[in-house]
Amino acid sequence: MNNWLNHHTQALKQVLSRMRRHAWSTFMICLVIGVSLCLPSLFYLGVDNLSKLAEHMQSDTEISLFLKHDADATTIQKIEQQLASNNAILHHHLVTKEEAWQQLKKNSASNQDLSETVQALKNNPLPDAFFIQAKSAAPDELETLKNSLQNIPGVEHALLNTEWVKRLATLLNLGEQFIFFIALLLAVVLLVIIGNTIRMQILTQKDEIEVSYLIGATNSFIRTPFLYAGVLYGLLGGLLAIAMMMLIMMTFNYSIADLSQLYSSDFSLRLLNSELFITMIGTAVSIGWIGAYLAVSKAIASFKLM
Amino acid sequence: MIQFDQVTKRYPGSDEVLRNVSLHINSGEFVFVTGHSGAGKSTLLKLIAATERPTSGTVLIANQNVSQLKASAIPFLRRRFGLIFQDHKLLYDRNCFENVILPLHINGTSGIEAAKRVRAALDKVGLLHKEKAMPITLSGGEQQRLAIARAVVSRPSILIADEPTGNLDASYAADIMAIFYAFNQVGVTVIMATHDALGISAKQSRVLHLSQGLLNEHLLHPTELEDNQASLENASVENSYDE
Repeated sequence: MNNWLNHHTQALKQVLSRMRRHAWSTFMICLVIGVSLCLPSLFYLGVDNLSKLAEHMQSDTEISLFLKHDADATTIQKIEQQLASNNAILHHHLVTKEEAWQQLKKNSASNQDLSETVQALKNNPLPDAFFIQAKSAAPDELETLKNSLQNIPGVEHALLNTEWVKRLATLLNLGEQFIFFIALLLAVVLLVIIGNTIRMQILTQKDEIEVSYLIGATNSFIRTPFLYAGVLYGLLGGLLAIAMMMLIMMTFNYSIADLSQLYSSDFSLRLLNSELFITMIGTAVSIGWIGAYLAVSKAIASFKLM
Repeated sequence: MIQFDQVTKRYPGSDEVLRNVSLHINSGEFVFVTGHSGAGKSTLLKLIAATERPTSGTVLIANQNVSQLKASAIPFLRRRFGLIFQDHKLLYDRNCFENVILPLHINGTSGIEAAKRVRAALDKVGLLHKEKAMPITLSGGEQQRLAIARAVVSRPSILIADEPTGNLDASYAADIMAIFYAFNQVGVTVIMATHDALGISAKQSRVLHLSQGLLNEHLLHPTELEDNQASLENASVENSYDE
């Protein structure tokens, strides 16, 4: 146990001192790893925040239910009862044709053209309408609710103005798939970079490895320092990536705060996404370990003495 | 302690380097391996040090058959030996102290105990005052002594030296030989390959002579040197030195 601990602390010390001696090249490698991690993570954050923005907007969506012109008071009452008993509906309110007409007149007063057109109309062309707020914001559920409302007798047209939200959701979905493949490709790149770095280090320490084998080193004695190096590259690269992302997000957040104010929304980018950060570090460390392991195993096979 | 039985070694694409070699080396012996370059001396030493496997025959080291040993057990067998190479195989990216401590790192000794042992080993070869020096700044003889310090630091019971004096002038070579004799005095088995008979003179020595892969064995007394000249062939006996 003590021996095992010794072996590991020695390997770690050896790697750390080597990294300190070659601080610049270590930094460069970590930078490459950091940037490679940053790219898919930034994409992810972008899509993630856009989805949140989409949800934000979906909560504003409502279904407009326009009734037939000949709908009388009893029909309206029947429809209202049905709406009240529907579990999917959060709340609804009725705007009668008279109310809508008054409102239109009032709203168009400031606009001369519109006002003239409205004045020209002798009869009220507007129907009675229900404005419905659904409990769910999911596009699919809204769609089914809309269709069921459409089928109520006395309803002329049910309007769901969330078509663009649906399109956005599809686009975001596409974006997620895109990110997945980008991440996969960059993982391969990282694996190659770390593997190659470790391979170069093995080459520069060829003599040491050879002598160590001759005087009785085990494979794990040879392997451990390089595994630590791979893991440390991953860890440092991951931390660097997080630092870079924080910086980028912070500058973004200033502009977004301005934008949000224009839309009188309190939306801001989620800066501390701990899950994402843990995933980034975890991925980088595992890739570092795997890359180093592959490189060392290949090298060990070529160093085999007998 | 070391026993070869009908050992043959052939490298891929070459003739047999060793043919039907049988030998037995006891604990505490001082054995020379002589022969032309290319006669198989280095191969014989590599087989003893378990850094090569025999093509056929059996190599027993401390009653363990090297051919049948698991790959994972080989490193632990190698740790019984102190190896000294003709080209030193020192590591030039670190100082003398760090060179000598390597075997201790490998067998898991560390801290104060390791530092103590390293200094003791450096002291034995007379390099204690150079522990912070880089090997490249040492003379040829000092580098070889440093290699010896690295070989003995883990207190092996067998020292295997492949032409340790090969590249050194006579006075340095005598220094090195004296160090080996001193280790032999305290019970360490020494097996040394040499292409000249320098130093095979101080006392009765056992000589394993290799010629074209075949082994001849001699027991060499200082007084017998002249008589054995014929069988030693290239052994430059004329420089047999008196004390």
